[in-house]
Amino acid sequence: MLDWLPENISTFGNGVDHLFGLIYYISVAIFGLVISVYIVFIIRYRRKKKSDRAYYHHGNNLVELVWTALPFALFLFLAFYSDGIWVDIKYPSHTPNPDVTIEIMGQTYMWHVRYPGSDGIFGHSERKFISAINPFGIDPADENGKDDFVTINQVHLPINKNVLVKLSSMDVIHSLFLPNMRIKQDAVPGQRVDVWFNGAKTGEYEIACAELCGSGHYLMRGVVTFHSQGGFDSWLDEQYARVNAGMAPTSKTDNSIAHLETQEGRR
Amino acid sequence: MTAHMTPELHHEVSFFRKYIFSTDHKMIAKQFMTLALFFLFVGGGFALLIRWQLAYPGQPVPFIGHLLPPTWVSADGVITAEFYTQLLTMHGTIMIFAVIIPLLVGTFGNFCVPLMIGADDMAFPTLNMVSFWLFPVAGVLMMCGFIVEGGSAAAGWTGYPPLSALASGGQTLWIVSLFLVGFSSILGGVNYITTILNMKAPGMKLFQMPMTVWAVFITAVIIIIATPVLAAALSMLFMDNFLHTSFFVPANLIVPGKLSPHTAGGGQPLLWQHLFWFYSHPAVYIMILPGMGVVSDVISVFSRKPLFGYKAMVFAIMAISFLGIVVWGHHMFQSGMNPLLGTTFMVSTMVIAVPSAIKTFNWLGTMWRGKMEFTTPMLNAVAFISMFVIGGLSGIFMASTPVDVFIHDTYFIVGHIHYVLFGGSLFAIFAGLTYWWPKMTGRMMSETLGKWHFWITFIAFNATFFPMHILGIGGMMRRIYDPNVYDFLKPFQPMNEFITISAVVLGFAQFILVWAFIQSLVKGRRAKRNPWRANTLEWLAPSPPPHGNFDTPLHVYRGPYEYSSPESVRDYLPQNVPPEEVQRQMEEHRRREDTSRRAMSGEVHDHS
Repeated sequence: MLDWLPENISTFGNGVDHLFGLIYYISVAIFGLVISVYIVFIIRYRRKKKSDRAYYHHGNNLVELVWTALPFALFLFLAFYSDGIWVDIKYPSHTPNPDVTIEIMGQTYMWHVRYPGSDGIFGHSERKFISAINPFGIDPADENGKDDFVTINQVHLPINKNVLVKLSSMDVIHSLFLPNMRIKQDAVPGQRVDVWFNGAKTGEYEIACAELCGSGHYLMRGVVTFHSQGGFDSWLDEQYARVNAGMAPTSKTDNSIAHLETQEGRR
Repeated sequence: MTAHMTPELHHEVSFFRKYIFSTDHKMIAKQFMTLALFFLFVGGGFALLIRWQLAYPGQPVPFIGHLLPPTWVSADGVITAEFYTQLLTMHGTIMIFAVIIPLLVGTFGNFCVPLMIGADDMAFPTLNMVSFWLFPVAGVLMMCGFIVEGGSAAAGWTGYPPLSALASGGQTLWIVSLFLVGFSSILGGVNYITTILNMKAPGMKLFQMPMTVWAVFITAVIIIIATPVLAAALSMLFMDNFLHTSFFVPANLIVPGKLSPHTAGGGQPLLWQHLFWFYSHPAVYIMILPGMGVVSDVISVFSRKPLFGYKAMVFAIMAISFLGIVVWGHHMFQSGMNPLLGTTFMVSTMVIAVPSAIKTFNWLGTMWRGKMEFTTPMLNAVAFISMFVIGGLSGIFMASTPVDVFIHDTYFIVGHIHYVLFGGSLFAIFAGLTYWWPKMTGRMMSETLGKWHFWITFIAFNATFFPMHILGIGGMMRRIYDPNVYDFLKPFQPMNEFITISAVVLGFAQFILVWAFIQSLVKGRRAKRNPWRANTLEWLAPSPPPHGNFDTPLHVYRGPYEYSSPESVRDYLPQNVPPEEVQRQMEEHRRREDTSRRAMSGEVHDHS
């Protein structure tokens, strides 16, 4: 059954998959055991003739104690084992120093992606500046923000680098889901959550929205492209050039309706 | 009608008071049952439309596609994305609030509690009537969503704001409707607690109550602790939705192209999730504990054996209800809640699996060296246990936070919830309905039809919901209109078709149950008082019991599970038989056996 998992390309994904497998095999073993006992009982302890009498027995405290203690130990073990991986994935205190930082902003029904531009610094942003043409709320007065550029539904990243995504939402709750990275995080308006991962394989992988965000929820598809470091650098240079030429979409993007039409057209 | 009945119960009541605004707990139970079974078919119909779209996206709905209104389907009969989100929202809401809770708490709570504790009615009969009548009002309001502008609620059964705060029309009705359902629950809960604590038959101790009564009692405690929190949350959501306050909506929210009307700002979307799950996680136990009670009783009766570890079972329910109040955060691991809280909720969630495991082992213990009779109620109860084991084990995957990162909001969750709510709760409901049907109606139900219904349901259920775990492992998100938008989900199309075909079989199999009910009412064999040879008090009343229930005075001498006791002549020992009478019957039986043995040996002697 575990073969159905999408390919994993993230560093912590192996730990997740390993834990998934462990719980899977434990579950199958418990299920097999319980159901075998069960089937044996069903076959063996049937009432065959009217005078049949069951064994008059009300229970046994020692047995109760054993089958309370054993699952308790097992489940606590699973909790502590799981927590080690959980801490690595989601605790802010365990997030490694990022090599690349981007911002992702969910909007009904698309993902805005913001890069810091050639200066490597994000311009100051605040919720009060958010508008239909400024999804990230970039402060127009901040010089650092002038070279920031934005893509829609397209994320480009280098492999083998710690990537930090600062995630939020403009309107309703979305959820950033990268099946191949084993990562999922809700994007909540008015709140910013840091998500990190490290991809180990080049190629294009899908991004989905996992939280119902309206009737177009299913259309909220994006693509993350992992490049080699060289490929990523040349992609960045291309974008910087377009920013300098005033051609690239910066913070001022088209609005969602035009975008939705292209999505619909593609289907 | 006998002299034992009190005079005020003796008078004739009008048709209106008897069948419509009845205060009789049994009639109220039947009202809950009828309405909830009606909604089972409504919610099931919605599920089949959802399944059609997932298996055959973009294809017109067969047979009824062209009959549906143009706001629901496109010109050629294809379900629209807007209608799809309404369907999934209403399917979840109806099944939980209008089917499972009214059947388990409203129907079994009302029918069984007074009869099983030997009371003549509930403590507050009028309150009971009000509790029922809030339900159809709420149901009508909920369904009105489909005829108002903008359609019904479409923010999922969890109604997360800001999405639910931004919608209007049907979403507002949804909030008001759930508020009324919550009120109905609270009124019922207060009534069950009072009835159970004050109106037990003379001699009945708390630890002589059947598991069904224990389960409803503890469920009622959960209801009165948790439901007011839902009511508070719904009130705030109503204000956000209707009056544009900002409890759950942050400042400067941009909804497509414009600023939202929630100008105050400062609200917290996560606050709703905390409040909602503080109710809705315990609600999961509201939807399973009464079923566990019913199954415990059915398993013991049809194994002809005392319930294994009765007190352990009661303590396990208590532990579940306590822990159930401190695990709500496991629905929010990926919500943006502090991950440290994720750790604590993971530990409490893992611990709550323990009492569920205890219950499963005790059911197995009850069956061990029993003498099982596989009647329709027993088949459904046995299915409950095996399906609950799967639902419980699949829950461990979600409890483990790193695994939840991947499977959260995927079909794995959909599979899990259906193993618990259908494989668990609904099979327990089938067990309970077929078990108490003779008492409710005075007629036996066809075992043949009951078994056909069971086997088709059991097989189609597993064929429908088990593959959903695989879809979830593949990463398929819940609540998406068309999985084919994603390349990584395209390989799952055949599986989605298989699930849909199974779901259709599952849905139509439920008509067998309705047929069995109708056939029983029309020409079913008259039921005796105690057709299953059970110990509990409800079987002492006539079938069906009249207004006021019992025609003999009751006194309870023992617990409800004295099956196959060596002290008794028969393999069951009703709770009300005095010990002297049991002893007398035993002595008489021995004397008769002696006599016949002597006669036998005499005959043998004669022949020789």
